Amino acid sequence: MTPSEELVRHLPNDIGGLPADRIDCTDHELLPWEKRCHALADVLDYHKILNTEEKRRGVEALGSEMIGRLSYYERWIVAFANILFQKQILTPEELALKMDEVAARHAREA
Amino acid sequence: MKTTPLLEIASADGEEPVFKPGDTVIISTRFPVGHYRVPRYVRGKKCLIEAVIEPRALNNEEEGFGRNAGQKRHYYRVAIPLTELWPGYVGAAADGLRIEVYETWLEVAQ
Amino acid sequence: MTHTHDHTPITVPDGAPGYYEVMETAMQELLAEKGLIQPAEVRRQLEVLDSRSPLLGAKVVARAWSDPEFRERLLANGRAACEELGISFYDDTGLIVLENTEQVHNLIVCTLCSCYPRPVLGLPPDWYKQKPYRARAVKEPRSVLGEFGTIISPDVEVRVSDSTSQLRYLVLPLRPAGTEDWSEDELASLVTRDAMIGVCTIEAQERKVQ
Repeated sequence: MTPSEELVRHLPNDIGGLPADRIDCTDHELLPWEKRCHALADVLDYHKILNTEEKRRGVEALGSEMIGRLSYYERWIVAFANILFQKQILTPEELALKMDEVAARHAREA
Repeated sequence: MKTTPLLEIASADGEEPVFKPGDTVIISTRFPVGHYRVPRYVRGKKCLIEAVIEPRALNNEEEGFGRNAGQKRHYYRVAIPLTELWPGYVGAAADGLRIEVYETWLEVAQ
Repeated sequence: MTHTHDHTPITVPDGAPGYYEVMETAMQELLAEKGLIQPAEVRRQLEVLDSRSPLLGAKVVARAWSDPEFRERLLANGRAACEELGISFYDDTGLIVLENTEQVHNLIVCTLCSCYPRPVLGLPPDWYKQKPYRARAVKEPRSVLGEFGTIISPDVEVRVSDSTSQLRYLVLPLRPAGTEDWSEDELASLVTRDAMIGVCTIEAQERKVQ
């Protein structure tokens, strides 16, 4: 079995040269929230609230399982949450409460 | 284009590029915990400096942890034949990689 | 191990937003409430992003094909030359334009993430951001090119550029034969995103009937 330190030393996104499948040339039109997420990333970078390299590191830090199962912008938004919590810009509690509020608002409007 | 400083000019640490186009260098072999921007597949490889990237910039590995200002050094665009990277490479012998590497990851080749 | 990413929108009854969309909305609202960002900034950045597409890159390529002095400036400093054409770079990235020649065919990739010349090409396609392309482009570029239907002669060097820093790349494809008297707009219409990534070349054209 590979020593566990290989997990620490080899980032899950560092895949240059690894075996991989045929390229699947699909593409998808970004969903509105995905575009907003991208725009948010850019705005956070302009302000240096969360720079682009921090975002990359935040995505890496999600770990292999989450990286494998979350889609591209899903990884970003979860990484943003973690980083903003670390910087004490948001708290987990306030994000959770706001998410409940947003979801309830949508349910009412539906 | 940057010119070499006058003899009587002393430059600050990191101000002048350490390497120049045509130099043979080696990409360091070290294994940072957490974030890195030098992929594993090029570590320890001998390469040729193709270009000095101007202007100097921050160390992106430190940027990944929120460092948005501070000392800057040069990135270098380096060339590595694919035959050096991959044993048994079956494309053309001339096929090559170009990659940007930060000054702190490059060493003089002995 | 194959990673399968589900790209279908998470749908629940009534088309309610999924978990991640709720997170994104909540985060923006909180950041705005705290005065850290303004909603108008995000809206504006959406406009910035919507204004970027391969049509911009195609204009740059067509100008480079038509104007040798522009071409030299483009190869010397990609960002500055794009800015000459009014293509602003909204971030701190630089641009290196990689010239395809009879001796060299260029291909761009970001093995570590998804670095891409967004100011001049817009957002990258999914395949560019996924494992097969990122893992294989640096190891077996000719096989990757083959999957796009592109065969490069063995006496042409395939040169793969892996973006890892603040620089981005754009491939300047070879101008196809048969376009000698074409206008810049006509030339631009030939230039595809995939040719500017380097996975495709641009076919020779039939001469225009006079």
